[in-house]
Amino acid sequence: MRRSTAAVFGTLAGVGMIFGVRMAAPTQIVPVAEDAAAEAPADAPAEPDQDDAGGAQPDDEGDAPADGDAPADGGGAGGLTDGEFRGTGSKYAYGTIQVTITVEDGKVSAADATYPTGGDSATINPPAIEKLNESALTAESGDDVDAVSGATLTTEAYRKSLQAALDKAAG
Amino acid sequence: MGTAVSIELAADRPAPELRALIGDVCGWLHEVDARFSTYKQDSEVSRMRRGELTSTGCHPDLRHVLGACADLWRATDGYFDAYYGGVLDPSGYVKGWAVAEASQRLVDAGCPTHFISAGGDIAARGDRVWRVGVRHPWDETKVAWKLAVRDAAVATSGTYERGGHVINPRTGKPARFLRSVTVTGPDLTLADAYATAALAMDRDGLRYLEKLATDGYESAAVTEDGRAFTTPGLPVAT
Repeated sequence: MRRSTAAVFGTLAGVGMIFGVRMAAPTQIVPVAEDAAAEAPADAPAEPDQDDAGGAQPDDEGDAPADGDAPADGGGAGGLTDGEFRGTGSKYAYGTIQVTITVEDGKVSAADATYPTGGDSATINPPAIEKLNESALTAESGDDVDAVSGATLTTEAYRKSLQAALDKAAG
Repeated sequence: MGTAVSIELAADRPAPELRALIGDVCGWLHEVDARFSTYKQDSEVSRMRRGELTSTGCHPDLRHVLGACADLWRATDGYFDAYYGGVLDPSGYVKGWAVAEASQRLVDAGCPTHFISAGGDIAARGDRVWRVGVRHPWDETKVAWKLAVRDAAVATSGTYERGGHVINPRTGKPARFLRSVTVTGPDLTLADAYATAALAMDRDGLRYLEKLATDGYESAAVTEDGRAFTTPGLPVAT
C-alpha cells in the first residue's frame, strides 16, 4: 500500500467558517442582500409592510418557506422596491424569528429581528438532555491519530509557524 | 488567511499518479479560493457584493453555494446565515463543501480511500478506519476524544480560536455556552454547518445535537465550563 501525503499551505476561502453563522434573516430576505440585490425569491416573497403591521404573518405551524426554490438561486435581475418589508415568521424549537428589513435605493439598509417575548419563549434552560452522555473532559495525547479536528486556526502566528514547519519539512 | 490542507492517499498506484491526484485537489482548492474568497477583490463573491455580478451571471458553483446556504438557513432555523447584515459571506459553507468536492474528485479518479483534512473539516473515505482526534478546547497539544471513522466526515467548530465570534441570533450576543462542537456523519458540508449552528444555539445546541443523532450525525460537545457531552452513538476509538 503506497501512501502519499502532502501538506498544502494555501488560502482556502472557507477559513472564515465561524462567520458563517450570525444574525438570522428570514429566507425571503436573504436574496435581497446588497450583492445579490437582483434576486426575488420565487417561493415566499416578502410583503411590503404598509402602514401597519399587516405584513406580519406569524406562522403557527412553523412551516418553513417551501422547499425547492433556494432563495439565493432565484435568478432574475431587477432592483428592490424601497420600503420596509417583514418576513414571515419562522418557527423553531422555542419560538419564532421574524425579521424586518428596510430597503433604500434598491438595497437593504437595515435588518431587524424580533423574537417571541412570552409563552414558549420563556424557556431559558432546556429540558434535561436525556440522550447525550455527560462526562468529564479528558485530555489525551493525539500521537496515534491520522489528524486532529479543531476550530480553524487563522492567526498569523499559526501561518508563520506552519510555513516554518513546511520549510523545514521541505528542507 | 491561510488554512493548511493535508491529503493522504491510500492507493496502490505509482507515485507520479498519486502526486498528480494531489495536484488536482490543490488546483481545485485554489480555484475555490479564487472564486469565493472574501478577501480577494476580484473573486466572484467580492464582485457579487459590489453588485457587479448576479446569480444568473456567476459560475454554477457559486449558484450552488448560494442555494445550499439558503437551504441551510432553513434547516438550522436561521442559525446558519450567509447574509448576516445583508452582506454575502458564504465562507461558513465553502470550506466544508470544497473539501467534500475534492474528496469526490478523488473517488471519481479511482482513489476511493483517502483522507483530506482542512482546518476542522475532515473527509475520511474508503474502506478502512481512520483515527481522528478532536482537539481539546483548552490545550492544543491534546485531544479530548479519538474517533474511529470509516467513510465519514468530521467537522469541528469552536469559539476558542476566534473567541466569541459566533453570534446567537436569538440573543444577538456571542454564543458562549459551548466552547467546541464536533459533528461526524456522512456529509461533510452538513456536518460542518451543523456544528457551527449548534455552537450558535448556546444551550439549545445540546438539544439540537441530540436531534441530529437521529439523522445519523453523532456529536461531541464541550461546554465553556468544561463539561463534555457525547451522543451515545459517537464512534469513539478503542
